[in-house]
Formats: sequence, C-alpha cells, structure tokens
Amino acid sequence: MDFELPEDLKMVQGLARDFVREQLRPLERDLLGRAADLSDARARVAAEDEAKLAAIARELGLWAAAVPEEFGGGGLGTLAACLIAEELAQSVVPFECGDVTPLLFECNEGQREAYLKVAVSGAKAVYLGIVEPGADFPKMAASARRDGGGYVLNGRKLVFSRSAAEFLAVVFAASREGAATAFLVDQGTPGLSVVSRQAERGWRAAVRQPVVLVLEDCRVPADNVLGQEGKAFALGRKWLPGRRIVRSARSVGAAARLLEEASTRAQTWQSFGRPVSERPSVQGALAEIAASIHAGRLMVYEAAARADRGEPVGREAALARLFTAQMAAGVASRVAAIYGGPALPPAPGGGISLDVLKHLIAADMLKGLKA
Amino acid sequence: MPLPKQQDVRQIEGVLNEVLSTKTPPVGRCRLLSSGISPTHALNITENIVGHKECLGCGNCIDACALLAREPARRLKTEQRTSMALESTVGEECDLCYACVLVCPQVDTTIKDYIVNRRMVEVTSRLEQLTGGEPDLDLFFEEAVDGL
Repeated sequence: MDFELPEDLKMVQGLARDFVREQLRPLERDLLGRAADLSDARARVAAEDEAKLAAIARELGLWAAAVPEEFGGGGLGTLAACLIAEELAQSVVPFECGDVTPLLFECNEGQREAYLKVAVSGAKAVYLGIVEPGADFPKMAASARRDGGGYVLNGRKLVFSRSAAEFLAVVFAASREGAATAFLVDQGTPGLSVVSRQAERGWRAAVRQPVVLVLEDCRVPADNVLGQEGKAFALGRKWLPGRRIVRSARSVGAAARLLEEASTRAQTWQSFGRPVSERPSVQGALAEIAASIHAGRLMVYEAAARADRGEPVGREAALARLFTAQMAAGVASRVAAIYGGPALPPAPGGGISLDVLKHLIAADMLKGLKA
Repeated sequence: MPLPKQQDVRQIEGVLNEVLSTKTPPVGRCRLLSSGISPTHALNITENIVGHKECLGCGNCIDACALLAREPARRLKTEQRTSMALESTVGEECDLCYACVLVCPQVDTTIKDYIVNRRMVEVTSRLEQLTGGEPDLDLFFEEAVDGL
C-alpha cells in the first residue's frame, strides 16, 4: 500500500498544473467577460488562442496523453489521465487536450488513417451520436437499412460536444430490431446535416445545447461500420470503465478549484468588521469541503491505479463517479453559501459551478434511466 | 441412471480435475469415471447391463451446449447426438461451462455435486471474461452526454 505518486506521474501532474496556471487561467477573465451575471461571457476562447494552446500542449506531451501509442497518442495510463483531467478541470477555459472517445480505438486497419489518426491529431472533432431526441435509450429510432454494398442511415442524433467547424461523426443506428451498429460518417457525406443552436455568448453558453445530427437517406459504405455489425454496444469495452474514472477526476478538480476560490473569498470578504474566514460556520464548511475533496481524490486514484494494474474496475469506477459527482455538486452549493447568497457564485467560481451542475445533470439523467 | 453407491470423488479427484480442465467437452470422460447403469433401470431387456457406462445417445449434452447454441452451424456436421458427436463438433473451443456434464443421465451425482461446488464458482467469472458479460449501457450514455 503506497499512497505516493511515482516520480514520472508527479512530473505529468506538475506539467499539467503549470499548463493550467500559466496558459489557461490568464484567459479566464477574458472568457468570462466583465458582467457579474456572465451575460457577456463567451463559450470558447478565440480560434488563434486555441491553436496556440494546442501547440503548447503538444510540446509538453499533454496532447492525447491517454491515447495508446499505437494510435498516435502519449500512451499514458489511467492514473496519468486522471491527474491531467483533474488539473484541466481547475479552469473554466474549455480545452480538451486532444481527448478522443475510446470507441474510435476500435477502428480497423483501413479506418485508422482516415478517422482515428485525424481525431487524435485534433484536425477534426468527434461527434458522438448515441442518444436521440425523444427516444428511450438504448432503444433508437435511427435506422440503418442494408442497401447493396452499404447502408442507408435515417434518423436524428443528439451530440453533446461543442460544435466544431470540422468534424467526423460516430453514429449509432439500429441495423435490425434490437441491434445497434456504429457507423463512421464523415463531414460532407450526402444526407448528413447538422443543426446547432449553441449559444456563443452569455451565461447560457456554458450550458451546452446539443448539436443535432440529421441523417436523411445518408448512404455510407459497409467499410464504415465501426466494429461488428449489430454489436455497437460491445465497442470500447476495454477502455470505457477507465473513462468513467477520468471523468470522476474532473469532478475532483472542479471541486478543488471551488475550494480555492472559496477560501480566497473568505479571507478577503468582510462582514460586520471582520473577515468571513473567522466565522466558525465558514471554517466548518471549508473543512468539510476539503475533507470530501480528499475522499473523492483517494477514490479516484485508487480506482485508476487498479485500472493501470489491469484489474477489472467496473465497480470502483461506478463508486468513484457516484461519489465525486455528488461531492462536486455539494461543494458548489456550499461555496455559493460562502460567497454569501446567490445560487451561482460570481466568476470564475460561477463558470466552474455551471460545469459541476452539468455533471450533476448527467448523473440525474442516469438515475432517471434506471428508475 | 447411476448405481445407488456411486463413485467416491475423493478417489478420482486428481484425474477428474484433469478432465475438467482440459479444453474439450468433459461429459464423455466424466461418464466413464461414473459407476454405470444401476440394477433398477426400467429397460425391458434380459441382457445384464448393470455397471455399463456407454453413452445412451439421449442428446441432452448437445442441447445444453452453450457453444452449439451460439454457433448452430456446427451441428450440421453430424446428426448423431452422442457425447462423441459433441466432442467432434465442439472440440477445443469448449467454454468448459460443464452444462453437458450436469445434464448427462449417465454421470454420477457425486461428480455433478463436485462440479457445482468446486468448479462452477470459478467458471462464472471466466465465462464472463470470455463473452465480456452484458455491456454497461450507462457507460455509453455517459460517454455521449458527458464527453470529456
């Protein structure tokens, strides 16, 4: 039982920490705007800034760090990915650092160059069309009809990533009753259109509207089937539980930033002639926040270390996700109370809280699914 | 339909474990390790068959085989429903789920008990690894909704 991070992982953590502190945080003020209600906040940093950030991340070796080496990534393990995600979550600047959905790791030899390599290099964003409007997941109305040497796709898919100029899509569609097949659909395929109502400005910009992929008699060759026909949900089995741990790490990072903001606020804000930090209720709240963050972090690291040892982590990943999502939401509401009232604390805490809120919404959606 | 006094597993444990660990349907060899037909059989014949260990050809093992259920095309190889037919259609791709042994009327209950108590627990997780178990759909939902 060793709770000390190995030296190499400490270096990764240090790199990510410096990257966030020196590159991402200076952009926050500009991104969040001047208005207290975030009405002039922007959804993303300027394109040239984003390109600059990507170049620096590549240089540091943080780009696509968790993608296996044979697919053109850094080949670091789950724990390293957690450390990086934890640091990146400590900023409101949306920067994904070359993260690619592991469903694409299932590309066969012929698909790797055109899809996986392109996605890992960051040239194209990946739209993951799994969920549908009005459909009861995992049932899906989108259909794939076999036609000659290919398939004809019809239906609508919701994509929850940020809209991008260049993209490729992974679309789940029912090729026969009760069997979903995953298809690689490139931008510009006839019959594929995109409806995006994502706000670029204002506080709503942080709460993403899904992009809708509309498929109307969209014809794709049989070579574009990802994995096996009818076995879409067998994809990524090796990697998906690990992703859940990395997501948990993100909640921990967001909560840690909230704690940092809250303690600064408590030390600088005065009420009735003395700093808020001297009030026992605030001290107690900060201590409880710190304790819950520490607990969440230990859960995440333990699960990640297990994953890196090659052990099954289904249970540990689910436990970590459950705890950290609720923990982060609890921290956000307590921090709001320390800030003195409004449900959403002012920037930059506000932006982080919205992110946390999104985690919670996802958790609630999951609960609704199970009910 | 084994004898009232059946094979004592402790005496054959070594060879039984060997049989149960070899990747080929174990039913035939388990049958040979059993005690054979009991004197209380209800067959209307004069020949003394007490203690005989032949396959009856009932086909239970063929029907119970998980691999043949997954890949029915293998059944086309032969119309026979003996344990020999099972071995030739399944061969070394056997899952070692022991379903064939449990349904065989010629295998001693002592051996079946041994398999259930000592081998099946280990088998469940190994089989899940083999088939991957049920996919966790929540993981896909999270991946879609809450992309990193």
